[in-house]
Amino acid sequence: MIGIVSYGSYIPRYRIKLSDIAAAWKKIPEEVVESLGIAEKSVPGIDEDAVTIAIEAARNAFESSALNPESIEALFVGSESHPYAVNPTSTIVGELLGIGNNYLAADLEFACKAGTAGIQAIAGLIEAKHIHYGLAIGADTAQSKPHDALEYTSAAAGVAYILGSNYLIANLLAYTSYSSDTPDFWRRDGIRYPSHAGRFTGEPAYFAHVMGASQLLMKKAKIHPSDVAYCVFHMPNGKFPREVAKRLGFTKEQLAPSLTVSAIGNPYSASSMLGLAAVLDIAKPGEKIFMVSYGSGAGSDAFLWEVTEEIVNMQRLKGKGKSLVQNQIQEKTYVDYVQYLKQTHKL
Amino acid sequence: MNVSVVGAATTKFGELWGVSPRTLAHEAVEGALADADIAKSNVQALFVANMLAGPLGGQQHLGPFFAEELGLPVPAMTIEGACASGGLAVHAAVNSIRSGQYDTVVVLGVEKMTDHKPEDVATALMGAGSNEERLAGATFPGLYAILARAHMEKFGTTFEELATVAVKNHFHASLNTNAQFHNTLTVEDVMKSSKIADPLTLLECSPISDGASAVVLTKNHKGIRIIASEVATDTIGLAQRESLLEFEATKEAARRAYQKAGVTSKEIDVAEVHDCFTIAEILAMEDLGFFPKGKAAAVIVRGETTLGKTKKLVVNPSGGLKGCGHPVGATGVKQIVEIVQQLRGTAGKRQVAKARIGLAHNVGGSGATAVVHILKNI
Amino acid sequence: MISPVKIWRNQKKIASLVGKTGKIVAFTLIRVPPADFSNQAPYPVVVIELTDGKRITAQLVDWDESNLKMGQKVQTIIRKIFETGDGVIPYGIKAKPL
Repeated sequence: MIGIVSYGSYIPRYRIKLSDIAAAWKKIPEEVVESLGIAEKSVPGIDEDAVTIAIEAARNAFESSALNPESIEALFVGSESHPYAVNPTSTIVGELLGIGNNYLAADLEFACKAGTAGIQAIAGLIEAKHIHYGLAIGADTAQSKPHDALEYTSAAAGVAYILGSNYLIANLLAYTSYSSDTPDFWRRDGIRYPSHAGRFTGEPAYFAHVMGASQLLMKKAKIHPSDVAYCVFHMPNGKFPREVAKRLGFTKEQLAPSLTVSAIGNPYSASSMLGLAAVLDIAKPGEKIFMVSYGSGAGSDAFLWEVTEEIVNMQRLKGKGKSLVQNQIQEKTYVDYVQYLKQTHKL
Repeated sequence: MNVSVVGAATTKFGELWGVSPRTLAHEAVEGALADADIAKSNVQALFVANMLAGPLGGQQHLGPFFAEELGLPVPAMTIEGACASGGLAVHAAVNSIRSGQYDTVVVLGVEKMTDHKPEDVATALMGAGSNEERLAGATFPGLYAILARAHMEKFGTTFEELATVAVKNHFHASLNTNAQFHNTLTVEDVMKSSKIADPLTLLECSPISDGASAVVLTKNHKGIRIIASEVATDTIGLAQRESLLEFEATKEAARRAYQKAGVTSKEIDVAEVHDCFTIAEILAMEDLGFFPKGKAAAVIVRGETTLGKTKKLVVNPSGGLKGCGHPVGATGVKQIVEIVQQLRGTAGKRQVAKARIGLAHNVGGSGATAVVHILKNI
Repeated sequence: MISPVKIWRNQKKIASLVGKTGKIVAFTLIRVPPADFSNQAPYPVVVIELTDGKRITAQLVDWDESNLKMGQKVQTIIRKIFETGDGVIPYGIKAKPL
């Protein structure tokens, strides 16, 4: 059996209210907030990037575990904002975490599902008994062009999962993936900001792939929505995950604990991974979690997790402290639009 | 072997746009040789003090550079110790005579800083700090601001007391034709000037300056004798110091200097100390043994080290680094020039009455090097 | 640009200093920064005494006015030191208030 040994998340403390962004562009703030279902988004510090965020998330994962970093034999970092076009994020992170040299390092890129692709790849390595422990991280300081629609949602965060086959807090019961060539969101090499295809990012992109992967998983694992306690979906805004949950037959209560998007926006590769972390903070032994990511271009990775008895110890260890996702969401300092532009290197 | 200063000269310090390092060197060295009434042919070695010609100007190897420029085909070398370069070069020159290697040598301190943008100068000056300090984004005003804050927290030193140092030194500088600044200041002027690194303001920081000073040293002469020349070092970065409330290097160099010279701090009539920032003068007063730790600020405020207001020790009659200017490599040599003029009685409007024993205190970085010279009119 | 070789050599030092707690023993607020830090000012530079007694100098981040005091508890973290255009990125130790 393979699954999660430990997890850690990190959200940069700065926030900007969507109403402040809207005001800067003379849009009606209430309309923007209502249409997106997001009140504010996280903003990285001027000296934060996917590397520093990945390190914080991974350190939190190690802090909730007795595992020695040198036990990690595979480290995959998925991001849409790797600091280098050529030079791996994963080895910088590995070095500064003290992982040593005996590991497979790889950087993954696939819009918002680069992190979850890493989970599936590492799960395979563990199942094949090629490695004992692996670390899958999704971390982003998502970029967007000022005045573009994406400016309201692109955020920053990182989540790390230590995967193994011992001392699991959640078993990975089944996983699938659904992929196709669907160019809904892209960025050419050398071009600073990504572009998107407007409404095309909806039905043929997000919904087709999330539904596709979900249906594949339900068939493979022989389960129905009523069999699981929670569902987690990639959150590009507040509306899409609610709509897809409804279509698949999940209830609002099953979805609610994972909806980090309304408070911090869309941290791309960390989005669904953060939703899962928020659920793990409160889940009880035996509960199942249905999780589906989405990456533009396009694809969805689907996972069925089952929480074990070990989660009780982990939750006791975390207590009501800083590592809980809801507490990280509340640890915040607001910035204004000019400061936001400085911190995201646009000024 | 005794060592005396027989010639001393300095250029004006300031923003000298049209003046090159070569011109500055000529003025200082030829002035010092004329003052000594010594011909170039009698000079046996040249010691050059400079910090930034390499990083900012791309020119190092200043020994032969100035030897050639000055027409002194003699053994020549550069001594570098950040802002203590001048004092260290004098120390090296003194030792070269005491050892019997040379009889008569010239020490030239020269620096050209205004050719470059202030941010680039600030970065180059941080070469005097530790790598950790550079990576933290520290500047020299920042490092001394840290010391000021520590002093304020421990001893209750106030913003006004710090500002008074700048006021005093500007007053002294107004009497010095070679000083960079001739304007006098009030405490309010200083406190209202723009903030550089809290709590230090612009007018509490010594300026970026050009200038050169030179001295001629010779053996066994009457006149102004160097009766102590001592150097001490401490850790390069502040975090590694034993204390943030004092410069151990200053205390150590001073201790040895007083001992070798056979004098106490109470016998010093005039002192040029290293006031790169206002707090530095307060620390110097305490670490040189002039006033007890934590008490110097109040003394300065009472005017007890100001020309014309005190019958005792006068500190920084030249205007110090703050008022006279601080071309880094030149400062330590200028301090000797000032003390020599004071002890000879030729300091004009800046004259400290009956000055017989003088002290020059030159510091490198945030206290990593300290050089103390004691001079006496024999 | 800091030499990539120097950055490489310093990594072990950085890795061993991260995640440590300490308190501020001295501080200043830099308003006029050196060239490489121009986009970050104003920022505090602090001397921290770690719980093991070692002292280090570092930039303080994620701060507000109330954190600039003697005795403020801090933790060491990894951040980018400064932007380097097309050069290797120097990551290093900074501190954030606890």
